[in-house]
Amino acid sequence: MAVRFPSTEYFTALKERMAAEQARFRRLGFIDTTFGITVAGNGEPRNFILSFEVFELADVREVDAIDAASVDFVIAGDAAVWREMIDNIRRNGEADTHHDINTLTHFGEALKISYADPEGHDKLYRFMESIQEFFDLTSQVEVSF
Amino acid sequence: MGYLATKDYFEDRDFVDKWLYTIRTGELDLSWMKAATEKVKPHAENPRRGLIYRDIDLGAYGYSNLPEKVRRNRSFAPRGAELPEGLPDAQPWVSRKSELWAHNTDGYYEEAVTRQWNATTDIPWERLEGVELPEATGKALSQLMTFLTEVEMIATDTPAMWLPRLNPEFIEVRAFIAAQAMDEARHAEVFRKRALTTGHGLMKASPMNEMALKHLRDADSFSEMSVALHLVAEGNVLTLFRFSEFLSPTDVDKRIFRLVMQDEARHVGYGMQHFKWVLEHFPQKREVLHSHLDEAENISFASGAATELTESFIVLAGGGLKQENIAQGVKITTAFQLKQMHEHFERLDKCGMPERKSGDRSRLWNMFEMGKAAAAEAGIKF
Repeated sequence: MAVRFPSTEYFTALKERMAAEQARFRRLGFIDTTFGITVAGNGEPRNFILSFEVFELADVREVDAIDAASVDFVIAGDAAVWREMIDNIRRNGEADTHHDINTLTHFGEALKISYADPEGHDKLYRFMESIQEFFDLTSQVEVSF
Repeated sequence: MGYLATKDYFEDRDFVDKWLYTIRTGELDLSWMKAATEKVKPHAENPRRGLIYRDIDLGAYGYSNLPEKVRRNRSFAPRGAELPEGLPDAQPWVSRKSELWAHNTDGYYEEAVTRQWNATTDIPWERLEGVELPEATGKALSQLMTFLTEVEMIATDTPAMWLPRLNPEFIEVRAFIAAQAMDEARHAEVFRKRALTTGHGLMKASPMNEMALKHLRDADSFSEMSVALHLVAEGNVLTLFRFSEFLSPTDVDKRIFRLVMQDEARHVGYGMQHFKWVLEHFPQKREVLHSHLDEAENISFASGAATELTESFIVLAGGGLKQENIAQGVKITTAFQLKQMHEHFERLDKCGMPERKSGDRSRLWNMFEMGKAAAAEAGIKF
């Protein structure tokens, strides 16, 4: 059954697949970070907070707004950009060279990174491969928009 | 031979007799079983994570109560062991906690250990079979890889040469520094392999870059080394890796840069925490670190603008040698250089040295302001 994007169900589906692929994520190592995702659309933006601990996504919740000081960083962008990334991952099995998180966020034109603390910002890069492979799990999920 | 034992044991009759006596009689001394040490029973607070250093931060074995000046142990003895008479003076250079400590050092080490990767088996090298990059892009990629191999070899040497100089009481810092040396050795390996797989072999070494690397290697103290290596150089290289990932022509290059950036960001994390620690706990060092930063910024500015790096970056960023490629490449490379400077000052500010965001204190800040103005005039965003 398809899960809608954006929704906590979408992130929960990735969380379950991450748990199912423990060997892969153990190989990538500890991931300890809490970050925000903002999906802007025609109406109010949807905001989610993802908390990773040890080797897994420990918690995901939707919030009204994200206080930058309470998370390491926030990745924000229009629903169309997120959709393009998700479609690309589903088509290729993983993000191609134009749709990985570092590329999409690089100049802040597609997705934008914001942070209150440069150490929090650096955590995106400390755990980059785990975060990328987490989103690449989208290839195993039916997604509707 | 730099070191001689205090005795010639082959000629020491008592020593040899005791060895033979034990073989003949099986009579044991067993005095070591009465070691005057603390008995503790550690357990993993989070079994998913395993038994980490933080779980054994207990009593005399822990790091929480380390004194600022370690005077009791100058040997190779591990923290918490009984120190009998006769231990050698290992002459550690660094026995002051504020010279090397950082909040969460043990955490950075544990993260490093679990996030190790293998340049031989974790990179899908087979995907490069049949990949032919255009000549200019291939040569630019190989030049970048040559430059980075040069950087990573000194980044291996520098932490490694400090290891035996650190008092063994600081076992967590020593472990982190050892893991960093391993990270850097792997980076040198992966960049060398990628340079050769372009088909263009290695390209040219960089005198400007090597001057900067020598500055890293020859710091007078651990803190100065850490500021120059972890904070300035690796901070710059982290930005470079992120841009390189963005510019990568293949998914193999993307994966390489994602993996190296993780290690680099961890080193920068330690560097920031150490810098904060030293400013808070050893404020007398502030001016010394300012002086060291003056030179580190001078050299990193020169190294960042080295022809071998800048031009290869421009060609990679623009995707070729045509005029429009070069124009695009210059835009992206300028944005990269300004981003490096911006993040450098942002980190110093966060660590407690906001005063460097001023032309009176930092000549790099002047260059940053000048670069921003020139970029704005040229319509370049960063």
